[in-house]
Amino acid sequence: MPEPVQYRGMSLLIPDNDSEWKEYFAHARQHTLMLRACNACRLMRYPPTHACPWCMEPGWTWKEVSGRGTIYSYETVVHAIQPGFKDATPYSVVLVELDEQRGAPTPDEALRIIGNLVKADGTTMEDAKKVAIGKRVRVVFHDLAPHMALPQFTLTDEPAPGRVWQLPE
Amino acid sequence: MKSLKDRYCIVGVGETEYSRNSGRTTRAMAVDAIRKAMLDAGLGPGDMDGMMSYQSGDSTPANWVASDLGLRLNFYMDVFGGGSSTEALVGLAMGAIETGMCNTVALFRSMNGYTEFRIGGTGARAAQPVRSLDLAQVPFGMRSAGQAFALTFMRHMYEYGTTSEQVAHVRVAHSKHASQNPKAAQKERVTVQDVVGSRWIVKPLHLLDCCLETDNATCLIVTSAERARDLRARPIYVMGVAGRVNKPRTDFHWAHGPITRVAGYYAKDIVFGQAGIAPDDVDITGSYDAFTFTTMLQLEEYGFCKKGEGGQYVSSGIIELGGKRPNNTSGGHLCEGYTHGMSMVIENVRQLRGTTDDYCPGAAKGEHTYDYAPGRCRQVRDPQITMNLGWAMPPTGSALIMRRG
Repeated sequence: MPEPVQYRGMSLLIPDNDSEWKEYFAHARQHTLMLRACNACRLMRYPPTHACPWCMEPGWTWKEVSGRGTIYSYETVVHAIQPGFKDATPYSVVLVELDEQRGAPTPDEALRIIGNLVKADGTTMEDAKKVAIGKRVRVVFHDLAPHMALPQFTLTDEPAPGRVWQLPE
Repeated sequence: MKSLKDRYCIVGVGETEYSRNSGRTTRAMAVDAIRKAMLDAGLGPGDMDGMMSYQSGDSTPANWVASDLGLRLNFYMDVFGGGSSTEALVGLAMGAIETGMCNTVALFRSMNGYTEFRIGGTGARAAQPVRSLDLAQVPFGMRSAGQAFALTFMRHMYEYGTTSEQVAHVRVAHSKHASQNPKAAQKERVTVQDVVGSRWIVKPLHLLDCCLETDNATCLIVTSAERARDLRARPIYVMGVAGRVNKPRTDFHWAHGPITRVAGYYAKDIVFGQAGIAPDDVDITGSYDAFTFTTMLQLEEYGFCKKGEGGQYVSSGIIELGGKRPNNTSGGHLCEGYTHGMSMVIENVRQLRGTTDDYCPGAAKGEHTYDYAPGRCRQVRDPQITMNLGWAMPPTGSALIMRRG
């Protein structure tokens, strides 16, 4: 069992037999966002799983995606639960819809990933006032250990493709 | 659709106080709640032979509790789970009796949800190592229930124009109900301004959009309709039940939108189909109010209003005592105490019996004033059918329809 990776007071535990997460985070450490794609129907999925959620096929191949997408939803944590996040408040958690495979295999499905909205350095939380549904983001990586990095997302200067919405306050 | 409509009953209910300092073990509280439910039903130690509980490593197993009450069990099972377990366990208890494994089953949930395992996720829960599927969200500071659900709530506001003020009405209504409930942990009535003016926890949730954390135990007793007729309390019949119904991709439900759709979308046909009724036939709802938003989402998904119009529905007065279809007349998780769902079923059983434990002097005998001013009555006039909407997460839910005997 490898040593847990310490991050913001949490022990992130990825046992050697957890190949899906071990390899996902190792790819992230190489600063590539890789998802598992089904060997039969070719659809990608996230999180990395043991079989295809659409066709049950167990065979898979890692496939790189661009890491670009649009904020599908978000929340801003003002009162942190985890002690290691207290100094980061207010921080935003974003649900990012990736550009690849949108609306497939059915119109309601997409590759969506959770991360924090951070600055371009990959580690500093972005000003929570800047988060909004509809804004464009790209993946950045926060290196945590020689075998692990955390994919995060940062705003880009691309124009938003649709409506941009923020909680009225 | 296969149905056991009207063949099983809830015959006993009981609970401890709702507090932030129980000062006793989950075993002691479970014994207290089950004993009260047995006395309510008129059952002695030799009369009950089944027991089920739900927990997440934070409680006492059924077979330990049973011995404290002199019970010898023919069936017991402790299941892993929190919200949405209550309704599912009613269905499982009916199944256990239907097979002949046992005759009468107590369902309990016992938790020191404030003093031992904080339901809000602080303390022991926050210190657990992060592994497996949790790696997809917890490293990003998304651990508590509020943090896990907020993406769904925010997207609902974006898609449908739902406002903080609209959902605040859920807290307003439930606080009104709690003011008629001697057991409620928070009895003060609040206004919409109180809710939206309370501090942010995780946007879009204010402090008063969130439920309480309490220590308590709760219990329901299920038996056959045939046996129920010989017991003390007026039998309350189970018309339909749906247990732990899921959306697709429950491993990561955000992958399969619309993420504003919740499990009731799939559960409603099961439970209404068994019961043979429609939402309009329901007199009282008990909708899992871990947050104001969860009640709103469930009421619209089960068809009490159109999808997307939940904000208007909950702010219309319909869900308040005196309204067309009150919700959580005990004050629910937002105001009475947090029980992982059991208390809302207990309340509906008492409503159907006509014996809610409010401040009316003759409440125990079913004598009520129907005066909904603070500190008075919370009995609904002559309710026939109630429905409970149980919530675990946006993609997982249960439901239970009951009628008076």
